[in-house]
Amino acid sequence: MADYDDIPTLKENIDRATVDSVLALDVDKYKYGFETAIESDMAPKGLSEDTVRFISAKKNEPQWMLDWRLEAYRRWLTMTEPTWAKVHYPKLDLQDMYFYAAPKSSPAPKSLDEVDPALIAMYDKLGVPLREREILAGVERPNVAVDAVMDSVSVVTTFREELSKVGIIFCSISEAIREYPELVQKYLASVVPVSDNYYATLNSAVFTDGSFVYIPKGVRCPMELSTYFRINEKKTGQFERTLIIAEADSYVSYLEGCTAPMRDENQLHAAVVELVALENAEIKYSTVQNWYPGDKDGKGGIYNFVTKRGDCRGDNSKISWTQVETGSAITWKYPSCILRGDGSRGEFYSIAISNGYQQVDSGTKMIHLGKNTSSRIIAKGIAAGFSDNTYRGQVSAHAKAKGARNFTQCDSLLIGDKCGAHTVPYIESRNGTAVFEHEATTSKISDDQMFYCQQRGLSEEEAVALIVNGFVRDVLQHLPMEFMVETQKLISISLEGSVG
Amino acid sequence: MRQTMPVRLGAAEDTLIAQLKSVGADATAERITVAGLPTRRVESYHYTDLKTLLRAVPPLAQAANEASAPALRVPGAYQLMIANGVIQSASTAPAGIIVGKADGGVLSTRDDILVHLNGALAKDSLTLTLESSVDPVIQIDRRIEGEAAHAADSLKVFVADGASATILETFSGSDAAHVGNHATYVALGKNAVLTHITVDLSARATSHFATNEYHLAEGAKLRTLVIHAGAGLSRTQLFPRYEGAGAHGDITGLNLVSDGQHADITMDATHAVPGTSSQPLFKSIARGRGKAVVQGKLVVARDAQKTDAKFMHQGLMLSDEAEILSKPELEIYADDVVCGHGSTCGKLDEDSLFYLMSRGIPQEEAETMLVRGFLEELVDPIEDAALAEALHGVIDGWLLGK
Repeated sequence: MADYDDIPTLKENIDRATVDSVLALDVDKYKYGFETAIESDMAPKGLSEDTVRFISAKKNEPQWMLDWRLEAYRRWLTMTEPTWAKVHYPKLDLQDMYFYAAPKSSPAPKSLDEVDPALIAMYDKLGVPLREREILAGVERPNVAVDAVMDSVSVVTTFREELSKVGIIFCSISEAIREYPELVQKYLASVVPVSDNYYATLNSAVFTDGSFVYIPKGVRCPMELSTYFRINEKKTGQFERTLIIAEADSYVSYLEGCTAPMRDENQLHAAVVELVALENAEIKYSTVQNWYPGDKDGKGGIYNFVTKRGDCRGDNSKISWTQVETGSAITWKYPSCILRGDGSRGEFYSIAISNGYQQVDSGTKMIHLGKNTSSRIIAKGIAAGFSDNTYRGQVSAHAKAKGARNFTQCDSLLIGDKCGAHTVPYIESRNGTAVFEHEATTSKISDDQMFYCQQRGLSEEEAVALIVNGFVRDVLQHLPMEFMVETQKLISISLEGSVG
Repeated sequence: MRQTMPVRLGAAEDTLIAQLKSVGADATAERITVAGLPTRRVESYHYTDLKTLLRAVPPLAQAANEASAPALRVPGAYQLMIANGVIQSASTAPAGIIVGKADGGVLSTRDDILVHLNGALAKDSLTLTLESSVDPVIQIDRRIEGEAAHAADSLKVFVADGASATILETFSGSDAAHVGNHATYVALGKNAVLTHITVDLSARATSHFATNEYHLAEGAKLRTLVIHAGAGLSRTQLFPRYEGAGAHGDITGLNLVSDGQHADITMDATHAVPGTSSQPLFKSIARGRGKAVVQGKLVVARDAQKTDAKFMHQGLMLSDEAEILSKPELEIYADDVVCGHGSTCGKLDEDSLFYLMSRGIPQEEAETMLVRGFLEELVDPIEDAALAEALHGVIDGWLLGK
């Protein structure tokens, strides 16, 4: 990588724009790293039962919710941090962290006009439209409903009214706890039990906000739903909780995006996402994860310790996870499917890109419980710089899962000789009629491929971007249209400067 | 406020600790006291939870008084025997072999309880130095005789530069709840060629553990075949290290498990230098409520460019209740490599079965034919005809012994 100092004296005849664009490649490419000065309301530092009570009180939660949180907290005290993942990081001091930070604004903004303009400006800068877009004459673009979560609270949820016309509930989980307690009580922690793992239990105790989606029977959600997560305050952790319920014969596509400012400290993001698909329902969940990955020396960055799980509870239901992971210093994330209903289907498409000193340990679990269930896993890992990129996935068929079927393909690509790519599949067949196939390869971009592209006038970096895009194409095509273009750009950004 | 759970020790662990202390192996005893036997939370024992599987450990083995019949006879083989951990005197060695004895364990230190236990409990080791190519098959007959006993033994083999040999190890013994912990260390010199076969034919009541460590110098070629067909609980660990350019390993294994058995083959291979290759191939066949486990890890070090390694595991389920669990693993730090793994699992192909049966072959016979075909790949490369026949005998014995 060249520095400004390394550039020899410029010749007159070189186009200034060319030089600028080349130089731009070398400065830190994380364009979401700005910080917004917004006054926040914080919980006292540290974690104790009082913190849990404080959060619950802030959210005006009913007593049952507080009891539920306290039970989770007490359970959490007896648990230890998991160490099996192939990631190494300095432990976070949970007592030196804020578990609640909320932008100060009027307690419950009735409309966008009451929301702090600085906040709306921040989301604009991130490219997330919070104002419901007016339809311009002749230009009709599909709308996306957004739930914007900053630090610990949901600031605004758009298109709620339009969605409620067809009976869809799309709101923050805090509102859902107050307004739809029977739904929340029925489904919360029914997919990820409170004591599932260290981070999920911690999340259960201190989760602050997230999205709640309920699609009634037979409804096809008319627009993409999405949540945009933003960590803004220093020394905070974000504990989001998302719950999506798709009743029989319904369909929903949900997108999730996330960013954070550049800081030289590590911040924790420990989310729990639960999906429930009933008979014939389909949930498509897409994530573009772009938390701050730390600087080029591996300082700072987000610890992304996430539990995501979908339950195909009804027959012939389908849950599909698509993820593009480019951010976070440490990623520990396994979006999974429990294929409980007969004939249910699970899909997992993933692109995980690591550069710098990032460490990714991600993959999926496909638990086949019902008859004739099928699952498909396509995972592409790309490691560059000094990073480590691990795919860890479990496929298991229980004794009653007659006719279970899985196909897994995981490919890794190494760019440079200081990084590592690892594949750890767990293939568990407990049933004679189950058919599993697993395939994995690791390779580097061949000299022939590079030569071919460069010979046709592409620069080295353009050639890498082109080959990588080809490598990940079978995953990209499962992303919603708006995301696909964005992701292609993101991939070239994450890999710039990694050649050689 | 944070509480830590102390490890609860079971009967097997208590016995092991007492046995280790009685031989002065306090460090290993301490290790078990603190951590217990590995559970599924220990990655390398994920599918073989020794804490629940190994319920009791019999007393340490005493020298054997009687011996049962050899489990496997290969005509023309040169035989050496280790019974209850004691090396037995042997007939004069054929040309090229120097037979010796050394103190204690043979394995390199490694974070693994079976390796530690063997190191602490194996009293002396049999050493074989193969100075030049040896024609007859060398059979090491390792057995545990008499009353149920906990025995540890070890074998060290050096194959000189350019030499070639075939070594067969058989594990057997009396029908009792033995615990056998066997270790084999093999070093191959430049361009040495070795075929190393281990066959477990222990009684069902026995728990069989074996650890094989291999070091390959430049141009060395190693072929292994591990066959599990005996013990109720077995685990064979294979640790090959490719340490010289051009070294190549065909690490193969066959897990034959019947109702109630648990058999685990775990490979952890390291490609340490540039230009080495390996083709690990494992097959599992499970019937009844048998459980077969295959784990295969390929580690490619930072410097080991141009490594060419492909791991394959194929599982065949002969019953609905059987379990085949596999965990292939790639850990790659060099960028210019071709590495991959594959793992498949399913039952016999219905179409092939129909094809055979429609030609008048009874179902059972047709199944046996297909299973033989499935396994052919593993026994075929073995050149010694008498040895190959003996191995076919072992496989047929399992297939017919339903």
